[in-house]
Amino acid sequence: MTALLTVYVLMWPVLVLGVLIAIARGFAKDVAEARKEGRPVI
Amino acid sequence: MPPAPSGEIVQLGIIGVLLLLLLFYGGTMWMSVAISRKKENADDYMTAGNRIGFGVSAASMTATWIWASSMYASVTAGYTYGVSGPIHYGLWGALMILFIYPFGKRIRAVAPRAHTLAEVMYARHGRSSQLMLAGSNVLGSVISLTSNFIAGGAIIAMLSPLSFGAGILIIAAGVLLYTLWSGFRASVLTDFAQVMAMLGAAVVIIPAVFFLAGGPSMFAEGVASGNVTPQQESFFSSDAFMNQGAPYIAAVLAYAIGNQTIAQRLFAVREDLIKPTFLTATVGYGATVIGVGMLGVMALYLGVEPMGGDVNNLMPQMVGTYLPVVLVALAFVMIIGSLSSTADSDLAALSSIVMTDIYGQSVGRKNADPKLMLLIGRITMIVATGLALYFATARFNILDLLVFVGALWGCLVFPVIASFYWKKVTNTAFTVSVLAALVVFLPVRFTLFPLEGAWALLVELLAIIGIGVVLGIMAFGFFGLRAAIVIGATATLAALPFGFGFLRDYETLSGSLVAYSVSFLVCWALSVRSSQDFDFSVIKQVTGDFDEGESTTDGETRPGNDPDDIDRVTAGSGSDR
Repeated sequence: MTALLTVYVLMWPVLVLGVLIAIARGFAKDVAEARKEGRPVI
Repeated sequence: MPPAPSGEIVQLGIIGVLLLLLLFYGGTMWMSVAISRKKENADDYMTAGNRIGFGVSAASMTATWIWASSMYASVTAGYTYGVSGPIHYGLWGALMILFIYPFGKRIRAVAPRAHTLAEVMYARHGRSSQLMLAGSNVLGSVISLTSNFIAGGAIIAMLSPLSFGAGILIIAAGVLLYTLWSGFRASVLTDFAQVMAMLGAAVVIIPAVFFLAGGPSMFAEGVASGNVTPQQESFFSSDAFMNQGAPYIAAVLAYAIGNQTIAQRLFAVREDLIKPTFLTATVGYGATVIGVGMLGVMALYLGVEPMGGDVNNLMPQMVGTYLPVVLVALAFVMIIGSLSSTADSDLAALSSIVMTDIYGQSVGRKNADPKLMLLIGRITMIVATGLALYFATARFNILDLLVFVGALWGCLVFPVIASFYWKKVTNTAFTVSVLAALVVFLPVRFTLFPLEGAWALLVELLAIIGIGVVLGIMAFGFFGLRAAIVIGATATLAALPFGFGFLRDYETLSGSLVAYSVSFLVCWALSVRSSQDFDFSVIKQVTGDFDEGESTTDGETRPGNDPDDIDRVTAGSGSDR
C-alpha cells in the first residue's frame, strides 16, 4: 500500500511536467510560425 | 517521520513579498506593453483575431481554469476525504473542459467570429435569452474576480506582515494594469508565462514536500497513529463521491457553458486547434489540481492541524512548514500566478460581454463605434475591479454566491446546447425553461420547504430525471442523439430503484439535478410542437466583427465583414423576438 500511495502522490507532478513541455514546445512553434509569416504571435 | 508542525511557518517578509510581486507583475506588465498598439482593434481586444496557436491557447485555457480557489479546494478535499478527495475535485473539474469541446466545435462552426456565447444567443433567439446568459456570465465573473482577490490578500497576509487589505489592493492593481490596455490579447499572452510558473512550481513543490515531510513512511505511520479513517484510506470512498464528486459531475457542463472565459478562448483559438487545446487543458488542469491536492492528503496522514482551524490555511501551512524559503517563494508565485491568470481572464470576459452584449448588439453591429467600444471595455474593467474589491473587503459569502451562480448556469445548459442543434427551440422556450428551472431549484437547494412527503418524492423524481439529462447531454456531445437518448434513459431507469428516499439527503446534488431536469422538460415541451425552422446560417451573419480597422488577421477572409452580412433586426431568422 505504501508503494502504491507513493506512486499515486508522485505521478501527478510527472504528468504536469509532460503538459509543461507540450505547451512550451507549442508556444515555440507559434512564435516561429508568426515570425515566418511576419505577424505578431498574438 | 518529522514531528507534526508546531504552527511555526516560514515567512517571506515584507521585502521578499514585495520583490516577488514586483518581479511577477513587472514581468507581465512588460509582456503587455510589448504587444500593445497605439490603436487597438476592438475585435482583437475581445478575441485576438480568432486564430491563436496551440501553445498560447492551451497555456491560456489551462491557466484560466486553474484558479487559486481550485488549489485550496483540492487540498481541502484531500485533507477531508483522504486519498480519493483530490480526484473527486480535480477530475470532474478537468472533465468540464473535456465535455465542452464537442459542443465548442459546433458553436464555433455556426458562429466562427462571435465574441461571447450570449451574443450567439442573441442571434439565435433574441434579446431576452442573450441578457439572461450575459447576466449570469457577469455575475459569475465578478464573483470569480472577488474570490481571486480574496485568495491573493489572504496569502500575502499569511506569508508577510502586510495586511489583507494591502494584499488585495496590490493584486487588483497588478492585474488591472497589465490587462487594461490590450485586453484579451494581454490576458492570453501573460497566461503563457503564468502557466509556466505555475506548472513548473507544481512539478517541484509536490515531491519536495513529500520527501521533506518524511517520504513513503508517512503513510504507514499515519495509519498506525490513527490519523486516517478507513473511508479516507479508500480510493473508492462513498463519502468523497456523494459529498464532493457527484455534485461536481452535475456541475461539469454548467460551469463550462456558463463561464465566458472558456467561451472567449473557444472563439479565439484557430478552429482546427480546438480539440488539442481542450485536451491539453484537461490533462494540465487535472494533473496540477489533483497534484496540489496531495498536499492535503499528506497533511492528513501527518496529523497536521490547520492553523486557526481553517482548512484554507493548509496549503501555505504545509509549504511554509516543510520547505526552505526559496521553495516557499516558488509556491507563492504559483498561487499568485493561478489567481492572476484567472482574474485577468475575468476582466477580459467582463469587458467583452459589456462591449458586445450590452453595447455592440444593442446599437447593431454596423452602427457600433469601435473606439467607443474599447472605451466601454476599459471602463468595465475598472468598474469590475472596484466592485470586486468592495465585495472582497465586505467579506460577502463567496460560497453562497457561487452556489447561486452555478445553479443559474445549470438551468441554462440544456436550453443553450439545444439551441445550437435543434431548429425548433424558440426564445419563449429558452426563457421560460430557464426561469422555471430556477424557481424549482431555489427551494430545493436552500431547503425553503422541508424535503419530506410528496414534495420530497417530486424532487427526487426530478433529480432522477436530471441524472439522465446530465449523462445524456454528455453522451450527445461525443456520440450523437441516439446514444444520448439510450444512455440518458438507461441512467434514469437505473437510478429509479435507489433514488427515492435517498437523494433527499443531498440538497446540493439534488438541487443541481433538478435544475437540469426542469429546464429540459419545459424546453422540450414548449419546443416539440413549435413550427419554427431556424436557419443556423443566420448566426454567422449576425455575429461578425465590429471593427474594420487594423487587425492581426488583416488580409484574411473575415466572414463577419462580408457585404451580405446583416444585423439581427433584418435577419428574419424566424425565431420570436
